[in-house]
Amino acid sequence: MENDLELLKRCLAGENQAWELLLRAHNRKIYGLCYRFTGRTVEAEDLTQEIFIKVFQTLKSYNQAQGTFTTWLTRVARNHLVDHYRRTKRDRATSSLDDEEAGEVEARPSPEGSPTAAVESRERRELIQEGLDKLSPDLREAVILRDLQDLDYEEIARVLGVPQGTVKSRINRGRLELARVLKRMDLLRGPAKAGSEP
Amino acid sequence: MTHLELENLASDYLEGQLDGARRREVEAHLNECAPCRELVADLRHALELCRSAEEVEPAPWLVPKILLATIGERKPTLRERLDAFFQPVLRPRVAYSVAMAVFSISIIINAAGVNLRDLTLADLNPRNWAYQANRTGHLLYARAEKFYYDLRVVYEIESRLRQIRQDSGSTSGAPEEGAPKSEPAPGSTTDGKPAANPQMAEARSPFTSVLGAAQVPMDKAETRRSPIP
Repeated sequence: MENDLELLKRCLAGENQAWELLLRAHNRKIYGLCYRFTGRTVEAEDLTQEIFIKVFQTLKSYNQAQGTFTTWLTRVARNHLVDHYRRTKRDRATSSLDDEEAGEVEARPSPEGSPTAAVESRERRELIQEGLDKLSPDLREAVILRDLQDLDYEEIARVLGVPQGTVKSRINRGRLELARVLKRMDLLRGPAKAGSEP
Repeated sequence: MTHLELENLASDYLEGQLDGARRREVEAHLNECAPCRELVADLRHALELCRSAEEVEPAPWLVPKILLATIGERKPTLRERLDAFFQPVLRPRVAYSVAMAVFSISIIINAAGVNLRDLTLADLNPRNWAYQANRTGHLLYARAEKFYYDLRVVYEIESRLRQIRQDSGSTSGAPEEGAPKSEPAPGSTTDGKPAANPQMAEARSPFTSVLGAAQVPMDKAETRRSPIP
């Protein structure tokens, strides 16, 4: 965190290299958030770029009373994602093509690991993503921030701008909903898998 | 405890955030209620799945693209510029060419008679280079010429000796074969070795004339070199 603050100071002093380091330190996290929220690689890349452009333009507005730099960055990202969700809500309602596209474009896996582990990891990721896509945005963002981005309740409350009690409630409801969805998906997939086996 | 109460506490229970009394209540309800047990098991499965998920990897071009959109084209640092400058030099083809060029230049310098250890400012003057190259060329030419003439003299001597042997063999070779070899011949050499026959002494005359001709300037050179006492 101190490192972030130091980089931020250097960045505000006009040092481009500090901005590059800051960007490299946080781009994976923000991209992950965007991907989990949208479920689409191309959209997540565009959103990540838009978020960092916004962050670069509003760096001066950050102060430590708002929490750590990571919390502030996540809040900016979340607000941008919510705006984007509202903007594109109508498009999503009228077109089901996006869902097909989401299935076609795979997220880039981490480079490490054996091919078998990579396949398992991809299946797990797809399963989670399908489950998350079926949650309402409020519950989805709470679950993503807690269980995939590993933020604590206080940070999530700052990011979402709601009391901690609400955060806890949303996370609990989100998890329960996700568990039900995953169970339904498992049940749906079960007979297909069983049928494919000799 | 009702089913709804258990649902509200399910996350806290799994994360270990309940106090002792509340926890015992939950566990008591779970022991009695199969649907709630199943619900908690599903929730645990969902949590494990989320927490075991790997971080998704952004495209490698994303950071450069964002940098371009925010700070524009970044100026390379001094280190990056130096790396870019020296990168071609480290390629095998270029290194080989440079090594060959250095080798060739060293041969030329050596032929020009320039000693790099005792290099002075005057050695860098092209006029001196021309002088040195000219001098080295002349020396080489003189050495080659001398070698050639030396070969010529040796060849002439050998051919004369061969001719003398052939002549002596054809005229008096057979009758004198029985003569004792220990008997000193009139034309014996100064080191005591017997000459092949008396004619050998006569045959020396052309040899000595050649040597004599060669010795004349040497004698003169001797007299020139030795100072007058």
